Amino acid sequence: MLRQLAYTTGIALILSGTALAQDKHDDHEDVTRFRIFVGDHADPKVTAFDLDDPAKRWTFATTGQNKLYSVNDGSAIVAVQFEDDAVHFIKSGISVHAHGDHSDIEITEPSALQEVLTGPRPFHVIDHGGNVAINFDRGGYVEIIDAHELSHGELKTRRLPQARAHHGYAAPIGNGWVTSVASDAPVEGDSLPTRIGLQAIHEDGTPAGEVATCTGIHGEAFSGAYLATGCEEGILTVTAGQDGPVMQMLEYPGNLPAGETTGTLLGSKSMQVFLGNYGASGMVVVDPVDEPHFRYIELPFRRVDFVLDPANARYGYALAEDGTLHQVDVLEAKVSNSAKVTQPYSKDGHWNDPRPRLAMAGDEIIMSDPLAGVVRRISKDTLKENATIKVEGIPYNIAVAGGSGLVHDDNAKESHDHSHNDAHGHKHAHSHADDQIYKGYFEDGQIEARSLSDWEGDWQSVYPYLQDGTLDKVMAHKAENGDKSAEEYKAYYEIGYRTEVERITIDGETVSFFSEGVPHKARYVSDGREILTYKKGNRGVRFIFKKVEGDEAAPQFIQFSDHKIAPAKADHYHLYWGDDRAALLEEVTNWPTYYPSSLSADEIVAEMLAH
Amino acid sequence: MLSLRSLLPASLLTIMIAFSPHVRADEEKLGVVATFSIIGDFATIVGGDRINLKTLVGPDSDAHVYEPRPADAIALARADVVLVNGLSLEGFLDRLIEASETTAEITVLTEGADILMDPNGGHYHYINGRSVFHATPTDPHAWQSVANAKVFIGNIARAFCSADAEGCPKYEANAATYHDKLSALDMDIRNAIADLPEDRRVAVVAHNAFRYFERDYGVTFLAPQGVSTESEASAADVASLIREIRERRARAVFSENITDARLVEQIASEAGLALAGPLYTDALSPADGPAPGYLELMRHNLNTLTDALNAD
Repeated sequence: MLRQLAYTTGIALILSGTALAQDKHDDHEDVTRFRIFVGDHADPKVTAFDLDDPAKRWTFATTGQNKLYSVNDGSAIVAVQFEDDAVHFIKSGISVHAHGDHSDIEITEPSALQEVLTGPRPFHVIDHGGNVAINFDRGGYVEIIDAHELSHGELKTRRLPQARAHHGYAAPIGNGWVTSVASDAPVEGDSLPTRIGLQAIHEDGTPAGEVATCTGIHGEAFSGAYLATGCEEGILTVTAGQDGPVMQMLEYPGNLPAGETTGTLLGSKSMQVFLGNYGASGMVVVDPVDEPHFRYIELPFRRVDFVLDPANARYGYALAEDGTLHQVDVLEAKVSNSAKVTQPYSKDGHWNDPRPRLAMAGDEIIMSDPLAGVVRRISKDTLKENATIKVEGIPYNIAVAGGSGLVHDDNAKESHDHSHNDAHGHKHAHSHADDQIYKGYFEDGQIEARSLSDWEGDWQSVYPYLQDGTLDKVMAHKAENGDKSAEEYKAYYEIGYRTEVERITIDGETVSFFSEGVPHKARYVSDGREILTYKKGNRGVRFIFKKVEGDEAAPQFIQFSDHKIAPAKADHYHLYWGDDRAALLEEVTNWPTYYPSSLSADEIVAEMLAH
Repeated sequence: MLSLRSLLPASLLTIMIAFSPHVRADEEKLGVVATFSIIGDFATIVGGDRINLKTLVGPDSDAHVYEPRPADAIALARADVVLVNGLSLEGFLDRLIEASETTAEITVLTEGADILMDPNGGHYHYINGRSVFHATPTDPHAWQSVANAKVFIGNIARAFCSADAEGCPKYEANAATYHDKLSALDMDIRNAIADLPEDRRVAVVAHNAFRYFERDYGVTFLAPQGVSTESEASAADVASLIREIRERRARAVFSENITDARLVEQIASEAGLALAGPLYTDALSPADGPAPGYLELMRHNLNTLTDALNAD
């Protein structure tokens, strides 16, 4: 009997041809949004604004002067205060997710995390492979922050100890880590020890390899398969090998000016290449694979700051102390365009004196101009100023979040409780309000096995409520926010919710399907899971259970989909069932949906409207 | 003296043109960039010595995870014709084209080919023990169908003709000759598979690049979805593949030239099947290997498959 039901859903599939169960984001528009975060030179604060609405400001109080890092593709801003032993975190409110043929962008208000990381002299920040690693120069350790959790506003940290406190860094590479290493030599007063090299290390701080010499190690960046770091001898490159990190020193060649070194490196995001400084006014293009490994570019004046264009690997931009912005052609290793963009800012004086800082935002270079009290928007093609934005105080360090992508209308959020489940006391890895997972954007590593107990309980189908008009209000609500009429939504859910199984009870391993009051009962055990990718690029996980004994009419396979990918009690779920495990995976238009039987019709409506 | 030095190359050129009209200097040849080795082979076959070819992703390398280099962008900038597979196979291509500022025509070889949609919206690659999902709504491995390879060749000949009209007869003649070889290959594959008993036509691979082969020739390939060799959590996924292997009576598990073998070793050992291979999927072998060209690649794969599926 239930087998025939599966047949019916098959027909529904053919009839409909509409969107997928989790693919209801029909409304989307292409949006470009950049949000600029500016750290003041004197005051402990960060000011934020969007380029398309700079009048609207957000201000975040911190402990001291902030060096800002945009991490995890701009989803979070890390505000490092090395003189005040504090690190603040701000959810940028803009996240861009690439999905093969398109990107999605989500925009909300920025918000500071309440939690503040404190420790002795935090300095270098590395954002790579899902980790944000902050070196505490006087602490002798690196705090590793889970980047994904951070983008959801949660601070999950673990600590990698170093042999001796120093101004350095630790970076993840492959399945392990590397850390800079300090000399054993005693130091005078409170100065920090000199640095001698780089070493593979386990997360507990035990060495995993020999120290590779890299005298005075400073500056590090990732590009492609490589980590590159500056040394007195040359540039040390690191790749992930089968048996741990593989390090290779690229020595500075004889045709570079002698006596200078690279101490700052930027890695291109779209090509395997690095741009570094080399002495006060020189720059080097570093190709870790092909010869020549170094190509030198001389700027006419000392360099104040430089950036790489993440969108177009050909160009970097460097500001010199005479106030000239240079476009640097990375492929040709030459200055390809120059324009005066601000007053002179002499490099004489302290390194941390207020001088402009650069960042990229789409087709523009964003430059803080501390003495003018503005942030300048400069066209990357013409180097001409597009606009200036007044920023109170002394705008100094900057970071940018944002990009371009499709915005999907929130009407898709259907009727789900994606609030904190922690109150129920369940142990699961992603217990917070995980919108991204809910919408089907997650990494394979986030998926965990689930047991039938996640769906234990007495459940009712919502299909009768759709049929009898109870859910009309919900459809009308969707129509207000969506691109379909209430009637069209109702027709869509008519196919989605359709089922003859009005009630399901799950008790231990026993699942009972009630059709017209008659139960069909069977015992089910886990049969793994499958990851489905929908048309839009988002994904879903089916948790699959297989019948081991019981009524003939009970289906061979049941597949749960509830927008969760790790152990958690379901608040509602979609259930697919039938005798062909593989064929069921193709079913994406009919998704019988169940809510707790304890909920009244009004409560279900309220649940659905609340989201 | 100075004038002599500058005269020298010019006079050499004159001599070359005068006495050996068929040998063209590199800079006179049609500059062609092919994104990966199989396309590079096709380009050589159609272009012969009229083209100066640069292949970006070489033998035994996976175009999907390739990290483009400055030299690649420079090659694109200098190219007259750029040959690409398309269907999101070359994930690095758009950013490379942008950086290169190339004005060359980008020829998408899968245009006009008989393309399969991918019901899973993508497939998995296994790199250093981790699975990487390659999201694309269509299956990019179109060259595993010989009929599609003919479309590739036709597209290449057209692209070369429009960039170098003088060489067009040569390109078309080369393409026609190769077309016949492809027809013979197609027939050989069909005959070899027809000789396989029907209950011996199920194979297991780690990275399912064979859906076109399956469609055209009727060998079924099973592949795990999203399994990572290092993740304990994937035990269930492997278990479900093992079940499928038993239900479908798969005969052998195959390794691949572009993927490390740890995952298939695990699957073969758990399923109690022999590990055979390697199959050449998204890349040729080096010149001294068993699959230095497309024809050799397909014949090597066919022999490897039929030998292992026929073995007892």
